[in-house]
Amino acid sequence: MTQNHKICVGVFLGPHGVRGQVRLGSFTDDPESIFTYEPLTDEEGSRVFALTARGVGKDHYIVSVKGCATREDAEELKGTRLYAARDALPPEGEGEYYHADLIGLEARDASGATIGVVENVFDYGAGTFLEIKPANAKSFMLPFKDAFVPVVDIKSGFVKVVLPEGWLTPEKPPKEKKKKSDIKRDE
Amino acid sequence: MTRSVWKGPFVDGYMLGKAEKARASGRNDIIKTWSRRSTILPQFVGLTFGVYNGNKFLPVSVSENMIGHKFGEFAPTRTFKGHTGADKKTKK
Repeated sequence: MTQNHKICVGVFLGPHGVRGQVRLGSFTDDPESIFTYEPLTDEEGSRVFALTARGVGKDHYIVSVKGCATREDAEELKGTRLYAARDALPPEGEGEYYHADLIGLEARDASGATIGVVENVFDYGAGTFLEIKPANAKSFMLPFKDAFVPVVDIKSGFVKVVLPEGWLTPEKPPKEKKKKSDIKRDE
Repeated sequence: MTRSVWKGPFVDGYMLGKAEKARASGRNDIIKTWSRRSTILPQFVGLTFGVYNGNKFLPVSVSENMIGHKFGEFAPTRTFKGHTGADKKTKK
């Protein structure tokens, strides 16, 4: 995986007023940091957007875009996604990884055989975990810890994973014992 | 209404056995469980559980500040379809 891929950091939601201002939705971890990334382009990279923050809405920013002076111009931008170059992100610390770098990496087992592809990275408050999608099976989750993901090689585009015993074998939940009161009711 | 103190925290009985077995084995296992209703007890700290969310098992690494919460709190059942954290970082 190369470091020069683009990351979607926001989207133009629609016009604001009649002077060409636009509502901007931010996808960054700290919403305000969208203004620190330069240059911001569209998906193809053909158009560069120079933004100036003008205000804050409930869940969006109000911005002026260079070259966008009328409401009609602003309406044309609606739905356009903004992309920043991966290189524009600040360098990560030791042992830190950008989610954007992890997504798309190949998951390999200890022998080097491909298991699947990292499809997503989640954190619901109990540790980060990777969603790995095998080619012809349902995706599964694996904790992003040294014990389960000992090697992360972003340059070569793979992660080495150790699957815990029985993690992929289907099981059925244990049957609950019926309470005495339930049995009486059934009869 | 809160649960009466005299009852103690609720845990499905088999969870304690599973946790004990995993700790004794010393391996890095993930303990699969469907018991989202069980309370996280101090003896679960350091273990990793796979909590079923109706579709998949989500890994839940138990830490000290999770004691007293239920397993289900850490394995959401709804899929979030939004955009967050394009520049999110994570540590191993």
